[in-house]
Amino acid sequence: MKNKRSWFAFPYVIWMALFVVIPILIMTVYAVTTQDPVTQQFIPTGENFTGMGVYLSVFLRSFWLAVVATLVCLLIGYPVSYWMAKEGPRFQRVAMALIMLPMWMNFLLRTYSWMSILENNGLLNQLFQNIGVIDLHNSAGAWLTGLRNSIAIRFTEDPDSFIPAVYHPIRYFQMIGTPGAVVLGMVYNYLPFMILPIYSVIVKLDGSLIEAARDLGADSARVFSKVIFPLSLPGILSGVTMVFVPAVSTFAISQLLGGGTQMMLGDLIEQQFLGGAYNPHLGAAISMVMMVIVVVCMVVMNHFGEGEEQAVML
Amino acid sequence: MKHGNRIGSRLFIGLTFLFLYLPIFLLIVFSFNAGESSAVWQGFSLDWYVSLFQNRLIMESLYTTLLVSLLATAISTFAGTFAAIGLYSLGKRRRDALLVVNDIPMMNADIVTGVSLCLFFVAFFQGWGSFAQWFNSVQGAVELPERLTLGFGTMLLAHISFNIPYVILNVAPKLRQMDKNLVDAAQDLGCTWMQAFWKVILPEIKPGIVSGALIAFTMSIDDFVISYFTAGSSTSTLAMRIYSMTKKRITPEVNAVSTLLFLSVLALLVLNNVREVRQERRAERQEIREPSFFEKLSFRFHHPSFKWVRRGVTAAMGCVFIVVVVLLTGAAYSQPVVNVCSLGEYIDEELITIFEDRTGIRVNYQTAESNEALYSLLKSGGADYDVIVTSDYMIAQLIEEDMLEELDYAQIPNFDLIDPRFRNLPYDPENRYTVPYTWGTLGIIYNANMVEEEIDSWSALYGDEYAGNVLLINNSRDALGEALLYLGYSVNTTDEAEIREAFDLIADANARGVYQAKVSDQVFQKMEGGNAAIATYYAGDYLSMLENQADGVDLRYVIPKEGSNWFVDALCVLKDAPHYDEAMEWINFMASTEANLANMDYIWYASPNTEALEQYPAYYEENSEDGEPLDPELYEIMAPPAEVLERCESYVVLPQATRKLYNDLWIELGA
Repeated sequence: MKNKRSWFAFPYVIWMALFVVIPILIMTVYAVTTQDPVTQQFIPTGENFTGMGVYLSVFLRSFWLAVVATLVCLLIGYPVSYWMAKEGPRFQRVAMALIMLPMWMNFLLRTYSWMSILENNGLLNQLFQNIGVIDLHNSAGAWLTGLRNSIAIRFTEDPDSFIPAVYHPIRYFQMIGTPGAVVLGMVYNYLPFMILPIYSVIVKLDGSLIEAARDLGADSARVFSKVIFPLSLPGILSGVTMVFVPAVSTFAISQLLGGGTQMMLGDLIEQQFLGGAYNPHLGAAISMVMMVIVVVCMVVMNHFGEGEEQAVML
Repeated sequence: MKHGNRIGSRLFIGLTFLFLYLPIFLLIVFSFNAGESSAVWQGFSLDWYVSLFQNRLIMESLYTTLLVSLLATAISTFAGTFAAIGLYSLGKRRRDALLVVNDIPMMNADIVTGVSLCLFFVAFFQGWGSFAQWFNSVQGAVELPERLTLGFGTMLLAHISFNIPYVILNVAPKLRQMDKNLVDAAQDLGCTWMQAFWKVILPEIKPGIVSGALIAFTMSIDDFVISYFTAGSSTSTLAMRIYSMTKKRITPEVNAVSTLLFLSVLALLVLNNVREVRQERRAERQEIREPSFFEKLSFRFHHPSFKWVRRGVTAAMGCVFIVVVVLLTGAAYSQPVVNVCSLGEYIDEELITIFEDRTGIRVNYQTAESNEALYSLLKSGGADYDVIVTSDYMIAQLIEEDMLEELDYAQIPNFDLIDPRFRNLPYDPENRYTVPYTWGTLGIIYNANMVEEEIDSWSALYGDEYAGNVLLINNSRDALGEALLYLGYSVNTTDEAEIREAFDLIADANARGVYQAKVSDQVFQKMEGGNAAIATYYAGDYLSMLENQADGVDLRYVIPKEGSNWFVDALCVLKDAPHYDEAMEWINFMASTEANLANMDYIWYASPNTEALEQYPAYYEENSEDGEPLDPELYEIMAPPAEVLERCESYVVLPQATRKLYNDLWIELGA
């Protein structure tokens, strides 16, 4: 009878082999070969990996932006989860619904909404213009230049050789197409992934532990640092992975908000398959590297997380 | 002190929500804007909602999105539930090993999953192709299709395979909690296994199934990346449609569709929240706190059940599912079709409707960002186009690689109308593969109000004067061609040193922050709105920008003194096109004087049709609002005279090694 039910697993094992394992194997084959332009044969090569050094800056940029976005998500997400868990059940339910709601709009729609805000002639710059921030910036700059000139004139003919001019009058703040815009897009899209796991851990914390700590004379800060924070670490770790993995591999956000000048790993891969530079072998190789990186991150996180949990148990 | 804290914390939470909702709110506000701008309010109107429902491309993609999400949810919930039951009757060791594999799609970055599935499908199709060929040759009874392509089916498979793990993850804990003896007891009492399943197992694990289905649905509807790599060319989800729209002009129809989506989700949530509160009051005595559903999005924390939203969404999904299935079966898939792909925004879309009405052939119209992107699409096996529009040098390359089919000119009588100047050009010397579509020049477009002096040289692209306000054209051939011209070399040079010198010029300017962005059709929105000062693009597109330029923007077009590129874009048919005869009909229609006049008036690219070229100034006068004649200067930009073309060089196909160099350099530039 038991055996009869285990038959149900069989189709899924085949399915996984077909749609999970074999695709990755094929990708591996692509990664370690190149195609002969004449005969169309696959030739084994390590070139795809050894030649990747050219893209070091893309790797670094991806990591840097993803790390920054993850940190910002954590800095916003943790307090929100923590304080939310302290509110009444009704507040919590509504807040949860509000955090989830945008996820049912596709993330491209959410990213698109930022484009019109951040453009040079966009809503934010219009606002700055209207409330006078841009004029303020320009007149402050002009005043500083004047100040510099009046000082410099005593020492030299050419003020620029004294202190180089750093100020140019602007008509808008350049926001779109900057790394900041890309990070903003990531934070906006992935913040719920940080809040949800942290919140779900904090809300389940055993209140008696906190009480016990207080009874033993700990003040609020100590209760937080010695009890609440360590206990919420699993949530943090899972939030960090859930934000970091999509952030490091994104390509739509960097294209929409980065204006194509902030190339990331995802863009690099997309370019090799469907973009302007056709080379699926290189694309597969970069995907392999990314997969390895993600797995390493997961393992490190899990290891670290388990260690912490045990420490808490003790 | 407690109170002070609470105000501070609520303020923080409030600000976070403001951050989350302000963009959505603005998106909604601008869906009611009378004008096309997404930044300047021009009065209230519902026009975008009306045009949304008339926009077949968006509506179809919305339908595809809902269909794929619902089908994938239904199938993966069913399959995942049984898989979970199966897994839980295996031994622990085997089960754990399988669960590790189960985790892979959830852990992996979307793009890796998408890429690996794409490669898998394409490899499978190749294998299938040779099998079907062999099979059809050895027997005549059953005819297997020899050519499969990516499409709705492959996208659905991909969605199912990334959804199943989430279903399993939600059902599994319920199975673990279930008392194993219950099933045995039921069977001892005479139930068959099926009965035991329906009466005992299912009720026990139902909450897990429901929350699994919900997460699957959420994942499907939020997905873009995996669909993008597995849907091929002729299927688009809403996200893919928007992505391709962001590459050119986004219309506020997108705002309208977002608003509708948002409001329907909001309504569902509110409804359920109300129900929930009522139920909770009733169940207050039982003191059971239902853990939140959201925990489950984190695969480390699977939680037993999810109550709010549950029943309402299930019911709504059931209804939508039935409607969708009915619609699907009703959809007339027997209608003849032709799949067309062209570069960017490149047709008067009314022509599609006219053609469809006249011939009954459905036109599936897609666009590619550039010649190079189109080539990638064709190569990666994702495309099932019949007709493509691409440029001279790319045509030569496609012919060289045997990717084009010869045309049957007997079916294209309108080819006789094509000006002999545009026949038998070097890219297709015997004119066996192509019918010219448009021709024109590449030049500099600048906003006279944002530059100090008249621009007449490519040097404007590489100096610091306009740093941050220059747009670099996002394709290697044009971008490097411009730099080569500036340096005084031929655009067709194969000398590596010359090409590298041109590349260094661009890379250096890029490093100094000269370029605001790399753009293709985004150039329209950037230049029209005064968001950038200088760009390089095609003459026809300059004329469209001129029509749409915002107040305070004064756009000019110049062919720099160093010379430029002149191009012919032509219609051609891909090898083994499944709809060859329909393709001929489409090409013939597009070569007609009527279509060429309408197209010239809409996209502003010069036509190669002799009659259309002659008649256009009169046609313009007739169709313009106040009977105003066509400015001869503009006509000259559109269809430049021979002496201008003499200053320009056309691209020829580069040898393989040079093409690879172009590719490598282009990628390096982004890096």
